[in-house]
Amino acid sequence: MSDNVRYEPTFAKEVFKNVDFGEKIKMCMQCGICSASCPLKDEMDYSPRNIFTMIRAGKRDEVLKSMAIMLCTSCYSCKVRCPRSIPVVDIMHGLAHYSINLGSIPRKDTANFGVEFWKQIYKLGRIDEKDLPRKYFFVDGMIDGIKNSIQMVDMGLIMLLHHRMKLMPEKKIKGIKSLRKMLDKASAMGKGGAKA
Amino acid sequence: MKYFFYWGCSLDGGSGANFKVSIESICRYLGIEIVEIDDWNCCGASISYAGANDLEVKILNARNFALAEAKGSYDIIAPCSSCYIQMNKFNHEYNGDEVVNSNINEILSEGGLKYTGRLRVRHIQDFLFNDVGINKIKEKVKKPLHGLKVAGYVGCQTVRPYGEYDSVEKPAVQDYILEALGAEAVLFPKKINCCGSGIFLPEMDLCLPLVKDILDDAINNGAELISTVCPMCAMNLEMYQGKINEKYNTKYDIPVVYLTQLIAIAFGMDLKKDAALNYNFIPPEGILLNAIGH
Repeated sequence: MSDNVRYEPTFAKEVFKNVDFGEKIKMCMQCGICSASCPLKDEMDYSPRNIFTMIRAGKRDEVLKSMAIMLCTSCYSCKVRCPRSIPVVDIMHGLAHYSINLGSIPRKDTANFGVEFWKQIYKLGRIDEKDLPRKYFFVDGMIDGIKNSIQMVDMGLIMLLHHRMKLMPEKKIKGIKSLRKMLDKASAMGKGGAKA
Repeated sequence: MKYFFYWGCSLDGGSGANFKVSIESICRYLGIEIVEIDDWNCCGASISYAGANDLEVKILNARNFALAEAKGSYDIIAPCSSCYIQMNKFNHEYNGDEVVNSNINEILSEGGLKYTGRLRVRHIQDFLFNDVGINKIKEKVKKPLHGLKVAGYVGCQTVRPYGEYDSVEKPAVQDYILEALGAEAVLFPKKINCCGSGIFLPEMDLCLPLVKDILDDAINNGAELISTVCPMCAMNLEMYQGKINEKYNTKYDIPVVYLTQLIAIAFGMDLKKDAALNYNFIPPEGILLNAIGH
């Protein structure tokens, strides 16, 4: 028996159903222009083109635990250049979201940062640029948090001194309750599975 | 001329504060009226997808559009590239997909809101180039930036993916504006390379080389200064030069300013009060005073 990879559609069907824009993977003809255009392709375990093939081959664990799905810089080069008009960037975002919801946590630091980012939007309706790194640095507890913060404190001070950081915490928007109600409904109606 | 300005979290007192000050200044000078969107929320930019599905991010944008539409029908200018793309993506998919459209309307109605899909979102470069126009900008220049060599850094989300006002592969609008100000836009092939954007902070080791590449390209082509139109690009290109110097034993020290700061200076406005140059980490004053002949 050779090492040839066979199609195994179970995971692909799961992706079509649960991942935002996942059904667009059907259009992929494996030309690889997405991978060639990706700024962080050399740092990834699998290129975007490989991820699409692996989904078709049923490599569920490898895809959902791949760091590649969490390393998208959202530069949109892949989406612009894809000859089949596949929104590669949006699929990578969808895969990252689905994977985090399932508890796979593909790339811990970046996943934590993103989840904190969203929690802050849900809490305030806006992003507080100074509070976000703080929350993210302390995600692993007090000691790591202090270590991380000290490394970045010089930058925070520079920003504050140059009027590029607010001294006061960001307030909630007035319509936060109504916004949250709508977001809860969107969370239930949209793709991505239940939140972990 | 009247426009909605969607400032977004970065410009509203955050890392893009100097972008906002300079935009307000040049609008005042050009007689453009800025209409605020009351109680706006974040656009769901950057990396929020880690915690939210696509429909949740769309709802954030739907709410902003609905709030704006209730107040008027002016175009919305989104100076931050991430806001621009999120809002634009929303509009494209809301107007182009019946399922998205009906889901959004159903959810919006729960919040007592309504959107018809008629508002246009514009990038600040689109507004400057197509609405204000190169001729008007040239006319208004009082202190040309004589021979100042600028690398116009466009970044990613400024033109991609829709390319509504400029080429997605070889954008030129920023260079035209720079030249209208009397500056020299240097050759800069990496002007559309990615700076690492929203994952820069958690992925600093992987993203520092991206920024280093862009800085090298600007400097090797003779630039004295880099201009940009995105708060994320400005932050990553300016703030982390010190970290790059530590890591690579280099001596990068090139000022990074917003295009609108350069416009305010060329219009003869105040360097501090109107162009907010004192907000920049790497001081650009010396180079700019030299260019305008002080």
